[in-house]
Amino acid sequence: MPAQANANVIALQLEKVRDKVPLLYERDDILLTMIQQRGDVEKISSRNMRLPLQVNPGGKAGSYNADGGDLGRGSGTAYDVAQVSPIFFRFAIEITKLVEYATTGRERAIENAAKREVANGMKQFRAFLDKLIQTAGNGVLGTISSIASNVLTMSVPNGAALVYVGQTIQVYDTTLTTNRGTCNVTAADPISPTQTITVDVLPGGTVATDVIVHDGLSGASPVSLFGIKYHQNNATTGTWLNLNRATYPVQLATPRVNAGNAALTPANVRLAINKVRKALGINHLSKLIAYMAVEQEHAWENLGITVSSIIKEGGGGSANDLDLLFTGRKTMSGIPIKSSVNADQTRVDFLDLAHWGRAVLKDIDFYEVNGNTVFPIYGASGGLAASYIFYFDTAFQLWSDSPRSGAYIDTLARPSGY
Amino acid sequence: MLVRGVFLYFLGLIYLLQLNLLRENRMIHVIRERHETPEEVARRLEVAGGRNRFGEANYRVIWGWNRLAWIGGKFEDRDAHGDLLREVVELRMEPKYPQVNRWHVERWVPPETYGSPREWYAKTVESANGISVAALGPYPERGEYEHCFTLEGPKGEFVQLTPTIVEHLAQAIEWARRFPKAKQRGLLYEREAREERKYEEWAYTLMDDAAPALHGVPFVTVG
Repeated sequence: MPAQANANVIALQLEKVRDKVPLLYERDDILLTMIQQRGDVEKISSRNMRLPLQVNPGGKAGSYNADGGDLGRGSGTAYDVAQVSPIFFRFAIEITKLVEYATTGRERAIENAAKREVANGMKQFRAFLDKLIQTAGNGVLGTISSIASNVLTMSVPNGAALVYVGQTIQVYDTTLTTNRGTCNVTAADPISPTQTITVDVLPGGTVATDVIVHDGLSGASPVSLFGIKYHQNNATTGTWLNLNRATYPVQLATPRVNAGNAALTPANVRLAINKVRKALGINHLSKLIAYMAVEQEHAWENLGITVSSIIKEGGGGSANDLDLLFTGRKTMSGIPIKSSVNADQTRVDFLDLAHWGRAVLKDIDFYEVNGNTVFPIYGASGGLAASYIFYFDTAFQLWSDSPRSGAYIDTLARPSGY
Repeated sequence: MLVRGVFLYFLGLIYLLQLNLLRENRMIHVIRERHETPEEVARRLEVAGGRNRFGEANYRVIWGWNRLAWIGGKFEDRDAHGDLLREVVELRMEPKYPQVNRWHVERWVPPETYGSPREWYAKTVESANGISVAALGPYPERGEYEHCFTLEGPKGEFVQLTPTIVEHLAQAIEWARRFPKAKQRGLLYEREAREERKYEEWAYTLMDDAAPALHGVPFVTVG
């Protein structure tokens, strides 16, 4: 009988927590998981998922001459089919031998290390996917505005908000044609006005206006998760879920309010909400949420017409009383607010999550090869390295079956102090 | 000729039926559930929140169906199934808030918040089918009451209006308005960090539950 390898022990520990992985992943506190729970979840094969859309109504209305007049011909409803294909995402976690040696009890050390890395890894993986949801479907996490050695100053709106320390990123030219190479983020400051990212080694040829994308993408015009800016878009050129936007310039365009680099005002909000009401019917707002960055939530608070974070987060005796009396749910003109540190800092999106869904090819789980979930790492010599690796992986894509069911306000100013 | 006569007869019958239906429809009156704000509530809110430059209360409470606002532009009227019935460009008075069967607390906002009348129309005029309409109606020269809060329970259920609740809310909002903006911003970030910590704590607890007690070693000698 062969000797027990540490990899087997770690695999055993991972198996113990395997059923907890989906629970960790699906917790309803980020936009990604809100979409799954409120939208439709579709299990799909490797073929494209097809979304039949009613693009134009049928029938011919009009008056006619009843005194022998011609009533004319009719027409039918026009349909087209949007298509979604899933994207594979992985998250790799390595445990070194040192972790095992760090505590005295060997089995406990391995168990603790495995559990902690599963929890930490899932937290980071969820954060990564939540950041991708903010993007336009091309994997672009930010735009470089200036470079000083290996410190990149990033352009607002995204700034440095969509990367995390330790992440591997790639630099592309502004047209997403030339991949300049890969580097690792060693520091990121998404809060201060500077919005900088520090990388270990800047790829050669990197210039201001270049963009950074996540690891794993390749070739020109890469395709990643179809995020908010992909679906909530008023463009009339390009494609949307394999449909030509130019063919349906009205049907596929999300109503937009251009704030013109001014601060958020109640009028902007009403304009955006009213655009949805006019398109869908006056009373069809019940499922909307106002999704925004913390910065715009602050801008809304600055208007002094909403329940402030001061009230909700304490700071006075009245806060507790209010929490007892009310839901504490903050709203924007009656629409519930969902804010995120990852959202675009110059934008407010009104999303009808009933029209959003995830097409899932593979649920979140450990990556498995012939029953193995833990794999050894090899050193440069070809011998074993003192560490093990395991992966989470999932394959899905986001879809919306009604781009006109939402609205957005963009080019908003960030409130002062950021 | 006979076929044509029968056809016209049935056509006339349908017309008469429709006419009858129309007559019946005229008998149906759409009644919105309207409520006036109790005087006691309005008075206590005025005391709590003060008055604006026009001598009106800074805060008011209004029933959803009573609160109408201008909405202009191209409307797509749809039937109960969501099918398009007609498109029309016009200015309408419609309920301002989606929760029409709830009480809403509003705060007065001065006209300068909306910019100058020129800016207002530049921003809000929409054109459709060759017709221009101010999407939010005329410029609010006397300011406007904007939404602060909807009175409802944790699951969106109805909460009855009481003077104590609204007075408390107005005082709390006024109290919060006096805080420096930097502090407000800091609290928002603190909230986000706390949410993240909550997830972490929950995740570790979940992981601990997944492992058997004492790592699967029996703690009572068996046999």
